[in-house]
Amino acid sequence: MLIGTEPRGAVEDGPRATGQEARAAARVAELERRLGDPTDEHNELSYARLLAADEAGELSAAGERALDELGLGADFVPRALGGRLERLDTLVRVMRQVFRRDVALGLGYGVTSFMAAVNVWTSGDDPQRERLARILTGGGKVSVAYHELAHGNDFVRNEFEARPADGGGFRLHGAKQVINNAERADAWVLFSRTSPAPGSRSHSVLLVERAGLDPDSWRVLPRYDAVGVRGCHLSGLRFDGTPVPGSALVGERGKGVETALRAFQITRSALPGMAVGTTDTALRTVVRFALGRQLYRRSVMEIPHARDTLSGAFTDLLTCDILSLAATRAVHLLPEQTSVFAAATKYLVPKVLTEAMHELSVVLGARFYIRDGEHGIFQKHLRDLPVLSLGHAGSAACQATIIPQLSRLARRSWFSDEPAPAELFQPRTGLPGLPYDRLTLASGRDALCATLVAAVDRLPDASPEERAVQGLVLQLVDELRQVQEASRALAPEDRTALAGPAVFALADRYAVLLAAAAATGVWQQAARDGGDAFLADPAWLAAVLHRLARRLGRRPADLPPSVAARLHEEVLRRFRERTSYDLYDTPLAG
Amino acid sequence: MPVPTAGHTTESLTTWLAERIALYLKRRPTEIDPDVPLAEYGLDSVAALSLCGDIEDDFDLVIEPTAAWDYPTVHALADHLVAELAAQDGGA
Repeated sequence: MLIGTEPRGAVEDGPRATGQEARAAARVAELERRLGDPTDEHNELSYARLLAADEAGELSAAGERALDELGLGADFVPRALGGRLERLDTLVRVMRQVFRRDVALGLGYGVTSFMAAVNVWTSGDDPQRERLARILTGGGKVSVAYHELAHGNDFVRNEFEARPADGGGFRLHGAKQVINNAERADAWVLFSRTSPAPGSRSHSVLLVERAGLDPDSWRVLPRYDAVGVRGCHLSGLRFDGTPVPGSALVGERGKGVETALRAFQITRSALPGMAVGTTDTALRTVVRFALGRQLYRRSVMEIPHARDTLSGAFTDLLTCDILSLAATRAVHLLPEQTSVFAAATKYLVPKVLTEAMHELSVVLGARFYIRDGEHGIFQKHLRDLPVLSLGHAGSAACQATIIPQLSRLARRSWFSDEPAPAELFQPRTGLPGLPYDRLTLASGRDALCATLVAAVDRLPDASPEERAVQGLVLQLVDELRQVQEASRALAPEDRTALAGPAVFALADRYAVLLAAAAATGVWQQAARDGGDAFLADPAWLAAVLHRLARRLGRRPADLPPSVAARLHEEVLRRFRERTSYDLYDTPLAG
Repeated sequence: MPVPTAGHTTESLTTWLAERIALYLKRRPTEIDPDVPLAEYGLDSVAALSLCGDIEDDFDLVIEPTAAWDYPTVHALADHLVAELAAQDGGA
């Protein structure tokens, strides 16, 4: 087995146990050790080698071998089924080490299988769960086949059919397109029409194993050439009457849309935070450049605009990690509320990470356009990152998940709900298991914004940084009030996927407020705990809230100069000490 | 739009639902055939969730967010709501 040294069948840890944190930190360190220093050209997983594989349109063979040896597939399998998955936030930390180096490996080796598997963990029966666990812990891959180009994220209109056949089985008819690993997966999760009736009860999810299928009735479609993640094996599948057994059905027949929407709450929460590693590498690359390059007889780092841009990118990375933290931990702690948090995370995090990369590219100047050499990884990451916004749920589809819930949140939750539990904001505190059965499609509750509202009365105001935070929180709560008023006034036709552009903007503002609320919560807990001197300092929170307020079109007062100085110092320290630009300050190989 | 407060019948709920759904679809209530699946009028799965939220708020009734998926026409949904309201009154 590929489960590592952890004793199997041990008594499960309680929610406050430290065992989870120790296991997560050890696993992250294990990946870092095995994957090695990516700036070392002798490393077979160096940026230079990864770039060469990308240029050749291949996934790095050495990378796949390393992940095979690490048994990464088991990280997607619940512990109870023999894997390592116990928490979503720790899975994000583990995968971040892969995304730091290569988005294509992260998606092509791993995340695709996770996205497929979550449907089975959420809605499958015991034999399906055990079978899938065996495939993934044994190093196999599973593809998730939702997509049909003709229908995009409007998957309720999908046409790919699993026609019910005599004897309880199905016959597969039609094609699925742009499917990662379609040609080499051991099994596919196929979102299939099982009834011709219109509406949301006509689809089912099937787990179809490749072995044993009638080879003459199906084929792999030609591979797509993509702008980024060039190493990923994106192709399609075509079936012409292929029989599959009734045991392939995941969950109930006709409940496919519901299965998918519940699985999305897990994957939308978890995926975006993995890419924090990608933008971390971009920032690190530009810091190296800025310290080494001389312009106007000084280093680029001494140019105020460059220095501010780097600190801004670090601030964005913290913001993204914090929203990801709140969303992933909410799946465990507030599963009823997860549908909006997950959609907001999938909407905002890839967007902020991508924007941060573009701002960083300005500092890198002409070098960001060069495909090889010391800074070549930057342009690869810049090309690869947008796939996070495209794959699986586009930005607009995520906003469309939020929009119908706005008016209820406005009427029932904001300014009246209870704040989130403290554990939601504590990155290293243990969590109870994943309550798959408690994920609901809509709830009308939001404990995150309640944390922001409650903070107004609780924030200290002794230092200039604390006073800055207090002023910003007041402005953001005022913004929430405005979002509430606008949401209450929404006409029914503006509570659908066809809502007007202004309503999509409202969903954007709400997502930004969720990030601000989560940041406030994380700082409050870190300040109380005091274990992490940087996170306990209000300077970073002031910077995060200031950037978010400006994103909302506000013009907050200038921050005390100490804030910029503190962030700049931290950017340099983490570069020199080789630790991560996120909540965890994780030691890195390079 | 007036909200019936007591004595809900299939007829009163059918009228309420047709009016509400017409608002979602920017159509006239008379255009909504109570026996035609709502999806055929273009009421997407997201709007169907919104509709269930409206029902909860206006009738103070807890229903599954997917009720409009399981009861996909105005008539089916009205019958379901009458049964749910009766069950709630009986249980109260």
